[in-house]
Amino acid sequence: MKNAPLFFLGLLGAVTFSWAGLVLGSHAQLGKLGPYFDEAESLSFPQPVSGLAARGERVYADLGCAACHTQQVRRPGYGSDQERGWGDRQSVARDYIFRGRPLLGDARIGPDLANLAGRKAGAPKQEELLRFLYLGSKTHAPYRFLFESREIVGQRSIHALEFPDAMMTAPGHEIVPTERARTLAAYLLSLNQSHVYPEARPVPREEPATEAAPAAAEKAGKAEEKP
Amino acid sequence: MINAPTHASLAEVTAIDTRGRGPLLLLLVAAVAWLVLSGILALIASIQLHSPAFLAEYSWLTHGRTQALRETAFVYGWAANAGLAIGLWILARLGGSSLRALNWTIMGTLFWNLGVAAGLVGIATGDMTSFALLQLPRYVQPLLLVAYAAIAIPGVLAWSGRRMNRTYASQWYIIAALFLLPWLLIAVQSMLFWAPVRGTLQAVAAGWYAQGTWTLWLAPLALAGAYYVVPKVTGRVLPSYEFAPLAFWTLIVIGAWTGGRHLIGGPVPAWIATVAVVASVMVLFHHVVLWLNLRVVFSGTGNAIVFMRFGFVAYLASGVLAAFTAFRGIAAFAQFTFMTPALEMLGLYGAISMFFFGSIYFMMPRLTGQPWASGALVVGHRWLVMLGIAAGIVALVVAGWIQGAALLDPDLAIDAVLERVKPALLASTAAHLILLGANLLLFVNVLQSAWAGCRANLPAGTPFRQPATLEATAS
Repeated sequence: MKNAPLFFLGLLGAVTFSWAGLVLGSHAQLGKLGPYFDEAESLSFPQPVSGLAARGERVYADLGCAACHTQQVRRPGYGSDQERGWGDRQSVARDYIFRGRPLLGDARIGPDLANLAGRKAGAPKQEELLRFLYLGSKTHAPYRFLFESREIVGQRSIHALEFPDAMMTAPGHEIVPTERARTLAAYLLSLNQSHVYPEARPVPREEPATEAAPAAAEKAGKAEEKP
Repeated sequence: MINAPTHASLAEVTAIDTRGRGPLLLLLVAAVAWLVLSGILALIASIQLHSPAFLAEYSWLTHGRTQALRETAFVYGWAANAGLAIGLWILARLGGSSLRALNWTIMGTLFWNLGVAAGLVGIATGDMTSFALLQLPRYVQPLLLVAYAAIAIPGVLAWSGRRMNRTYASQWYIIAALFLLPWLLIAVQSMLFWAPVRGTLQAVAAGWYAQGTWTLWLAPLALAGAYYVVPKVTGRVLPSYEFAPLAFWTLIVIGAWTGGRHLIGGPVPAWIATVAVVASVMVLFHHVVLWLNLRVVFSGTGNAIVFMRFGFVAYLASGVLAAFTAFRGIAAFAQFTFMTPALEMLGLYGAISMFFFGSIYFMMPRLTGQPWASGALVVGHRWLVMLGIAAGIVALVVAGWIQGAALLDPDLAIDAVLERVKPALLASTAAHLILLGANLLLFVNVLQSAWAGCRANLPAGTPFRQPATLEATAS
């Protein structure tokens, strides 16, 4: 390391090498990935993201939702993602090509949201989502700052939240989601990974009886010998 | 020029140390201040995990934002300032002459810390990026780049103008850290913010950067301190030192390839995770050589060496565990659980920060020419910080274990999973409280010592080195 230029080149080379390998390598593989045209449905997937949802994605990012929620369903059989109803197939790179900033997340303190609107159990209603964000739960903070309580003057707002318990709001007041709350809800309801691309088709699970395979091969072999 | 017995601690202080005193103390005080702030934020974030309604009415303290604030204050506030102070000081000492062009460091420090502060305000008000270890809003990142370069200038001058042609392991690690962070930042910024790549490629680039900050920036700075302080304090030559270049190049060349560890099973090419597994295992060679070199850390006595020992064990453990959890079978269980923050704490707090503490305890008396202001605070900090880190890691590992098992059971609702983890999360909060207390002690001590060091205008310049006198004052 006495040779300073050589040392310097070594450092630069090491960083460039890993960057080229990981980042450029995957870019070469996925950078040109386009939507998939499904001839049966005459539609291309994933479907473009609406402007409202694209703005909601920023709200999702800046509130730090990704600290507790992942957006990547793992393949059936790897973890319990499928059994939990989060998705019947693995998330693939094509699902995210129209996302401005895909946030895969690395903690599941809350449920996975990658396929929130495409779950078998059905998508949550926008009203439900907003009410959940306002009220919170035992394990989720209430985000009251996404809503405003205002006095009802004339007609009620069409966006005002309905509560089963009238005590939730002050008399003569209504709880109205702000624009940020509405874009966030629109974003969450745009998260749909239910379309099965060719590369996302779940691989059929291996037969549990591993001994069956050699036995079958033996049978086949014997069958060949017989004639 | 030791005139009075009270100046006995001057024995090892030379002009090399006194010239750099002001700027390096500025870096150190800023570092410890950020450490305390990050401790407060960590406490809030930890409380929010088991009591979600805590401070929920403030939009600038959602759990996601407190986590981002904590992480940013810790990495770009504490670790960056402390690592640079230690790095510059070691480069000056090993280079054999006092630091030049220190005005750059002073200006750089001011702007770096202003940039981090502006970034934290940005995160709190809604400009966070949501990429791990890169939460700073994009508008402060160019400022940070320039400020970092300015701080590093005296270090590069000390390296290029060194008296001896031969070099030491500490110097390689510091020079690598000084150059590699800006390169990493430029590459990742352009790919994520200025000309964003498509879809999940952003996750790949962000993962590459996050791993790079660890293996190409913070770990080298921490190891440089260890390579410098351990032989000084133990008074022994490092065994198998001729293998040190292998450890260095293994870390630098292979380290960043482990960036795909967190993307196992994710919507990225599968080879990324495979490469990460292979690279995580190959990097273990670095840890083996490090073990050969630094195992003398177990023989010395004194305060600095206790921190070094803790950091060394944590560093080796974090390497082994990172390789272990990269395997797909284990990731199916441990991925997305509290195991991830547990490993992060082991790496960033247990290894990196403890190496930094050890280096600071060695460096401070030599910079100020005074013993530490309070021996009791030193001892208090030492025990509390070790207790806090150990308790925090154990609590998070237990939480991760319970959570991992519960997540695999689909009959257990996600709310019920968190309920099960609650006791362990309460323990984690207690650990963060202890750590905050510990770091407050350090903060008071650093402030007092720095103040005393700035006031005392000591005649320095004796070339004698008597490590024992200073080490005694620090323990």
